[in-house]
Amino acid sequence: MKEKFLKEILILFGIAIILAILPIFLKKGYIINLIILICLYTALSQSWNILGGFTGQISLGHSTFFGIAALVFRYLWASGIPPYLALLGSSLSSLILASIIGFPSFKLKGHYFAIGTLALSMIAIITVQNLLPGVSFSPSEFLSKYSLIPIYYMAIVVGFIAVLVVIALSHSKLGLALVCIRDDEDSSESIGINIFKYKIISMTISTLIAGLAGGLFSYYVASYYYYVPFDLGWSFDPVLISFIGGAGTVVGPIIGSICFVILKELFAISLGQMNVLIFGIVFIFIVLFLPKGIIGVAKLSLIQKRTSVISKEA
Amino acid sequence: MLHIAQIFSYGILNGALYGLVALGLSLIYGVMNLLMVAHGALIMLAAYTTFWAFFYTRIDPFLFLFIVTPLFFIIGWILFKILYQWLMKYPEGEKIRNSLLISFGLLLIFSNLAILFWTADERAVTTLYTGKVIQLWGVRLPLIGIGGLLLAIIVIIALHLFLTKTYFGKAIRAVSLDHEAAILMGINVNKVCLVAFSIGFALAAIPGVLTSLHVFNPAISFDLTNKALIVLILAGFGSIKGVLLGGILLGAIEAAGVYLVGTPYREVFGLILFVIILMFRPQGLAGKKV
Repeated sequence: MKEKFLKEILILFGIAIILAILPIFLKKGYIINLIILICLYTALSQSWNILGGFTGQISLGHSTFFGIAALVFRYLWASGIPPYLALLGSSLSSLILASIIGFPSFKLKGHYFAIGTLALSMIAIITVQNLLPGVSFSPSEFLSKYSLIPIYYMAIVVGFIAVLVVIALSHSKLGLALVCIRDDEDSSESIGINIFKYKIISMTISTLIAGLAGGLFSYYVASYYYYVPFDLGWSFDPVLISFIGGAGTVVGPIIGSICFVILKELFAISLGQMNVLIFGIVFIFIVLFLPKGIIGVAKLSLIQKRTSVISKEA
Repeated sequence: MLHIAQIFSYGILNGALYGLVALGLSLIYGVMNLLMVAHGALIMLAAYTTFWAFFYTRIDPFLFLFIVTPLFFIIGWILFKILYQWLMKYPEGEKIRNSLLISFGLLLIFSNLAILFWTADERAVTTLYTGKVIQLWGVRLPLIGIGGLLLAIIVIIALHLFLTKTYFGKAIRAVSLDHEAAILMGINVNKVCLVAFSIGFALAAIPGVLTSLHVFNPAISFDLTNKALIVLILAGFGSIKGVLLGGILLGAIEAAGVYLVGTPYREVFGLILFVIILMFRPQGLAGKKV
């Protein structure tokens, strides 16, 4: 167990270092852009994964935490606070919002939680549309010497933190408790797991990471309408991504994000979101027939291969 | 005073439409414990069907009810055979969760398909009586709204009679009360579920035709789903009779919101109410304690 944990951490560090030295060789902004997007979606879907995949609380309201973090980041950054401190602030702000509206929503169980959080995110977007109708811009000093590289490094940091947290979670006692709650709430309560406490811990971690993703969005996109980060798409995409990659796994959301971003690029010029269409169809079939997602299929075929090798040897 | 009466009567006429919107959702949830979030998308599709049918034939849209409703019955039949029958074997909690996820996928697929095919432009069927009003004690009531209210009353009475007076309707009610006991009584539960599901789809066509008379676009599907869920919780989950009252109540609440705060926050009132009721009375305002 310990060995596996170290191995995964090492792989993660390796990938992060490779990504960090990549801009020296790559002069094209396009690939860098793609990697930033993949990191953004990875962080967001890992955040959803902690709550939805590990703890089994399907949230359709992550856009609220994403959006508030984007707003706070832009505000802090514009008032002269360095980006990484602002990122911390934005992450905390989404935690504060979660403790006001998110924690009470745990009074809702099962599918009520899903539709309740959906209602919360709808309230958020309508309110923001009415209160802040304008466009938000990056600070002008940043725009005058605009470069993707600092954004790229922040994206790597955010993606790295998100994946690191999920790896640590999946190897810890806390993670086990969360999975236990997902599988059966009543029996986990009967063996002495404080359900409410663990749900709140899971939501805390989840919203902190969603906040990081929101801050990254605000750092990356130079100008947007204030309501854009509150768009319901930011709630729906992580659900699709996590389920298709494999909810409750570490690698699943990463694979899902890569597929999602690449599909999005392929169909970028078509009207409507072809990637959401394709992902929606795949999503339905995954929910029906392959509850473990792409990762589950890969693992299954690997095991089958191994057992067939063993049986041949025997 | 007249001002208030005008706002509230408008809200109530809107509310009748909300009641119709929630009717199919309520039937499907009540009988099968499937949470069909894609209901709003179905209504949107029905609205587009009516729009194009009207565009090419110029026949009164209310007459299309007789074509669009059977069409959606068949679509429901096919979708149940392809997707939903796999869910029937799951235990209760998992069934609701998976049906929520699947219909959520359908919602995304339908609304994106609609954008791809018909663009995100706003459309509306314009008939000779669009915008006509009746004056009643100084309150102006739009003709289409009154048509919607009458239609809602007729449909709900018809559905109620179907469920209480016919043999098949009684079977549906038996299944909604207790699956296993219904099986023991010799009811073909799978067939009942299939028909009830298809009726739920057909019931999406009726508000669809009404919606096509107002302004609509593909994004309306999220709005309608969310209205349907609020009405569902106001009426009590799975209650057919309460749906019209729940819809009218929501219409009145929105009207109160418009009067007190302003039009932009019309939807927020319903949503806040929804969350509060979900927290303290998850079985619905009029529902029985589970």
